[in-house]
Amino acid sequence: MKPVIVMADMVTPYGRGADACWQGLLGGKTALSRVTRFKTAAFHSDYAGIIDGLRYHDGASLVMQMMELLFEGVVIPEDAQLLLATTKGEIDLLEQSMLEQKGDAADAIVSRLVGKVSGLTKTTGTGLVISAACTSSAAAAAQAAAMIRTGHADCVLVVACDSITEFIFSGFSTLMALDSEPARPFDKNRAGLNVGEAAAYALLMSEERATRENRPVLGTIAGWGLSDDANHMTGPSRESEGLILAVSKALASAGILPDDVGVISAHGTGTLYNDQMEMRAFRAVFRDATRPVYSIKGGIGHTMGAAGLVEMIIAFHALRARKAPPTVNLKCPDDDALGWVSDHQQPVREQTVALVTNAGFSGVNTALVLAHGESSEFSVRPALA
Amino acid sequence: MIISVRGIGWLTQEGYGCIRSELRQAYENGEGAHTLLKKDIFSHPFKNFGRLDTISKMTAYGVSLALQDSGIEYSPLRKQDIGIVGTNAEGSLQSDIEYFRDYLAGGRTLSRGNLFIYTLPSSPLGEAAIHFGLLGPVLYVAKERHALTAVLDTAEEMLLASDAPAMLAGAAEADEAIFFVLARDPGWDRPVLCGLEEARTCVEANPDLRGLIRKFSGMAARKG
Repeated sequence: MKPVIVMADMVTPYGRGADACWQGLLGGKTALSRVTRFKTAAFHSDYAGIIDGLRYHDGASLVMQMMELLFEGVVIPEDAQLLLATTKGEIDLLEQSMLEQKGDAADAIVSRLVGKVSGLTKTTGTGLVISAACTSSAAAAAQAAAMIRTGHADCVLVVACDSITEFIFSGFSTLMALDSEPARPFDKNRAGLNVGEAAAYALLMSEERATRENRPVLGTIAGWGLSDDANHMTGPSRESEGLILAVSKALASAGILPDDVGVISAHGTGTLYNDQMEMRAFRAVFRDATRPVYSIKGGIGHTMGAAGLVEMIIAFHALRARKAPPTVNLKCPDDDALGWVSDHQQPVREQTVALVTNAGFSGVNTALVLAHGESSEFSVRPALA
Repeated sequence: MIISVRGIGWLTQEGYGCIRSELRQAYENGEGAHTLLKKDIFSHPFKNFGRLDTISKMTAYGVSLALQDSGIEYSPLRKQDIGIVGTNAEGSLQSDIEYFRDYLAGGRTLSRGNLFIYTLPSSPLGEAAIHFGLLGPVLYVAKERHALTAVLDTAEEMLLASDAPAMLAGAAEADEAIFFVLARDPGWDRPVLCGLEEARTCVEANPDLRGLIRKFSGMAARKG
């Protein structure tokens, strides 16, 4: 059965709604800002993609506050199976227990979050956490598509979330991964990433069920590929063979040729090695035939486990509008990205699909092939931010 | 397409073994998982094994025994398109506590990258992928109950979707671990222990690992 997406939305540092994020990116303005949630003087950066108005160490966890914003007024079919993608879930609860002796550190166990999200979305189907570092939600979307394609499910809700906490920020700082300035993916002078927080969801159905329920089809996950570099825990492969394998699997899964890809949403973290690894892979797969490549991480930061789903939803916008957003904060493209990335919007060829790539710790890689649906109505509700 | 089990490796507090090849080794006095490295359980040296967290070490042992049981050879020079999906009860909780305690002890200024790496629940699987040269999907899944069944389901989905021709699927805790090698049939030239459906029924009926090992060992003995 064909997996189609019938609803999707997000909360990001640009505000509530996918449209707020899309418009922010199109406008080329960054939503990265200086962190005031905790002290950052000891760290290599104080920039991050923060969602305004969340309370830290005060009541519900950050991700549950995001979820409440995300699902406000949204009705999800009760029988939907839930796949929850995250890297650190409610890690702020562990911080609180260790800093203030409040609550139990075990409240941060990721599997416990599934029950909370099931309750919030009123879903009664199987609930499962999927975690694969910064490819978590792309892997979850692929798994949801696989469940529908094989006929094991006809309605799957993919939810993704991660938040900015002192735990996470200190860790990335220790790894020397943070840019002291707003992140500049694919720029010659890029110096690292900024972390960001976000929550997003996508409701996938079989095409048959979507038709039966008269649902607008927003797009299709036409193919996917997952791989591992089997090389290094924190650094990407210098040969890019892992990402090349993931992209090749995704193209084969979709039954398309490289030339059918009209636009690429790259992982584009802004670290020297990631961006270099991705461009090497794109040049290998597409044989140096340029096409628009963009990264949204100069806009909202690296939203970790949520990145794949947020980027998938934005890629559907790009397909619908037939334009790639500018890579925010790009000033001087790196040599190997010249002709692919731009600080301006780029047109996307008609009758083409989008490729979304992600990578993460442990050498994990994902590639999703997306085809645009018939509906021009993308966000399930108007942006409120 | 049929999915079948080609091998199972396991460790408990009492010993370790392989199901299909009917290897069962009890620890002697003073032995335990902490002494397994001396048993040549890996076919080539595991780089920086000492710095791995406990779950990563148990995952590596379980995967090594499962690969051995299914007759899959590995080397640093020959990577293979095999995926790995795993679970455990607490995710990375103990590594999270260790990292954050160390960070707090350092005055909330410095932390250790080597501890931070293991604060991802998928990191033990990533360590296994690196050592055993696994190029397929690497995924941690969790649910509050019946997590091992969910792992088998997830691996099955990936095999049916052709995400990889073979998958390792299992669970690793601080004191026990079990990993299965699953593959599509036909399409993978290795002996078959049982079908996935039979394995799933066993797993659902035996939530305790020792009971599960007894059940699968009995199955292997009957098959001769």
